[in-house]
Amino acid sequence: MGNFVFDLIGKNIVAALVICIIPLVFILPYALIAILGELKIGAWMQDRVGPMRTGWKGVLQPVAEVVKLLQKEDITPTIANKPLFNLAPFIVFIGAFAAFAVLPFSEKFIPSGINLGLFFVFAVGSFAVIGIVMGGWASNNKYSLLGAMRSVAQIISYELPAGMVFLSIATIAGTLDMQTIILNQSGPIWNWYIFGGPQGGAIKFLFIPFFVILFIVYLISSLAETNRTPFDIPEGESEIVAGYHTEYSGMKFAMFFMAEYANMYVVSAIIVILFLGGWSSPFGTSFMDGPIWGIFWMVGKAFFFVFVQIWLRWTLPRLRVDQLMYLGWKVLLPLSIACFMAIAFLAMIN
Amino acid sequence: MLEALFYIFAAMIIGSAAVTAFTKNILYAAFALLFTFFGVAAIYVLLSADFLAISQIMIYIGGILVLIIFGVMLTTNVSIVDIKEGFTGKTSFIIAGIFSAITCIFFIYLAFKMPFINHAPKDVKLPNDSTIKPLGKLLMTNYLLAFEVASVVLLIAIIGAAMIARRHDD
Amino acid sequence: MVKYFKDILLGFWTIMVGMKITMDHLFQKKVTMQYPERFDPIDTGFMPDNSRNKLFVDIDDCNGCGGCERDCPVNCITVETVKTVPSDGPITIKSGAKRTLWVLKHEIDYSKCCFCSLCVESCATSAIFHTKEFDYSGYDRNELKHDFVSYSDEEKQKKLDNFVAYQIVKKQEDAAKKAADEAAKAAAAQITK
Repeated sequence: MGNFVFDLIGKNIVAALVICIIPLVFILPYALIAILGELKIGAWMQDRVGPMRTGWKGVLQPVAEVVKLLQKEDITPTIANKPLFNLAPFIVFIGAFAAFAVLPFSEKFIPSGINLGLFFVFAVGSFAVIGIVMGGWASNNKYSLLGAMRSVAQIISYELPAGMVFLSIATIAGTLDMQTIILNQSGPIWNWYIFGGPQGGAIKFLFIPFFVILFIVYLISSLAETNRTPFDIPEGESEIVAGYHTEYSGMKFAMFFMAEYANMYVVSAIIVILFLGGWSSPFGTSFMDGPIWGIFWMVGKAFFFVFVQIWLRWTLPRLRVDQLMYLGWKVLLPLSIACFMAIAFLAMIN
Repeated sequence: MLEALFYIFAAMIIGSAAVTAFTKNILYAAFALLFTFFGVAAIYVLLSADFLAISQIMIYIGGILVLIIFGVMLTTNVSIVDIKEGFTGKTSFIIAGIFSAITCIFFIYLAFKMPFINHAPKDVKLPNDSTIKPLGKLLMTNYLLAFEVASVVLLIAIIGAAMIARRHDD
Repeated sequence: MVKYFKDILLGFWTIMVGMKITMDHLFQKKVTMQYPERFDPIDTGFMPDNSRNKLFVDIDDCNGCGGCERDCPVNCITVETVKTVPSDGPITIKSGAKRTLWVLKHEIDYSKCCFCSLCVESCATSAIFHTKEFDYSGYDRNELKHDFVSYSDEEKQKKLDNFVAYQIVKKQEDAAKKAADEAAKAAAAQITK
């Protein structure tokens, strides 16, 4: 445990800055890869070939797109509220970036090893809500405001099932610390929480369905919280142009875009940490395990869930607003509360 | 370094609170609260109250502020209303001034009466460990009644909201 | 209550079915053809027969009547002609009819062409027709003008000169003929007197 940066440089302000910068350095190439993945996988799933001109088989397409966004004119509508309009993308990005503070990458690297990691991730998600409302209102555009309203209603609704999932795992793990939750699941693959967790006894196999349901509940609510299809009603192109970022262009739009992709990684990493053992190797502690392999497993597993999000985006149509509310309040919330009770019972008898 | 951080966040709290108090645009006031709440959370962190800090972010920024902004934005034309309009006579101005002065003097008096000002320990030992475990224990033992009463209040609020929102079929 | 759980399971199941379909397609052969490298309409002749694409004029078959120019609704065709002279010899167009006009210019401005096919219908000798090619472009709008006549300027000038010279010659011949006719008339009149 611990932090390799502190081991190398010592506990000083330089080390703190380096630790702050590492997630940012991670986000930028990750966003490029995710954009490329989105373009290519979306194309392949529709039997197309996707972008093919920039670089070998089009691999440089995201670079070209980012350069294009940087070059574009930064338009602020004349009747927009300028200070809030300019501030909003950064608040949204802060919300996404703050969550990286408690996401471990390996046994030896977590930017901030606070004891309340899970709670912190849950709390900073609210920054995105404020930023979206700010951008939607300041644009002075009906579609933007509608999109912001929808987005907030959606995020708040789906925070509840997600919170129940966090609570269940915190109950069974007995901690809110990310590293301890992962450490609990180290060892063979059936120690992962999706397979019932490490606590002994055959009785845990009775509870595996509840863990699987919680896993699915969190997968669905994480899609809703990142405004991804099928829950992209806040930016539904066919209904409200582009929702809260209708009026944004150039660099500020890129900030919204990057925040969305950063959020995709955050929720994927949380799924991996809560249910799939985080950086621990699926082959037990003896094979392909350790701090370096930890990065591979953590990022690899999280990328798989980023892929699942892209996969779902190109599979499912958009939900209606009433269907979204029905799913959140009448299906996911009761299911997650029932599973929480079952898992609390399991935690009690252990 | 911690002191510098304290002053930065303190300046942020006071500055954004001043914006909240003095701006004429009610939405600016609402959004300035974001920085006030965030600065308070940062001060909690500097005081090693990590659970309190994150609760502050979650409840005040994620809950109350969103509610305020929703309320403000869904009200017709509130963003362009001049707050100074309405009941602002000389009499009310004087009354408000007197009350504010009394409250101010009372708070200053209270602050200097408080034991932590007069008997501040020379070197405070901040807890190194997380506060979550002692907090949890205290909430489930010494302060269980307050904890449960708070949840009853929330339950009443939820029932009330549901009653208001219900369709009246009569 | 049973319906509620049934709905949930059904929803979950249908999502799984959908995801399986997209996963299958992820590894299927792609249908996209990379356009400039491979271009099926021309390569395989897939283009339908009645498709109306880029115009082409078989200038050897054009009798220079100018019907296409007159019928063009957007005035994209310009035809200039000059009459043939007897010294050119017995010339025909490709389809066998006698050529009475030299076509000095048959220019089509493709940037204006609206592919209405009226010129094709008005052409008596079917010299103008649609090809299968449609993806032409240029950096300048003048690049999209194409003149189908391949005569050099000297040849054109020579044809014009020939015509002018022939007209002079013909005028003289006509005048001589007229004079001869009048002389003959006068002679005939004298005889009848």
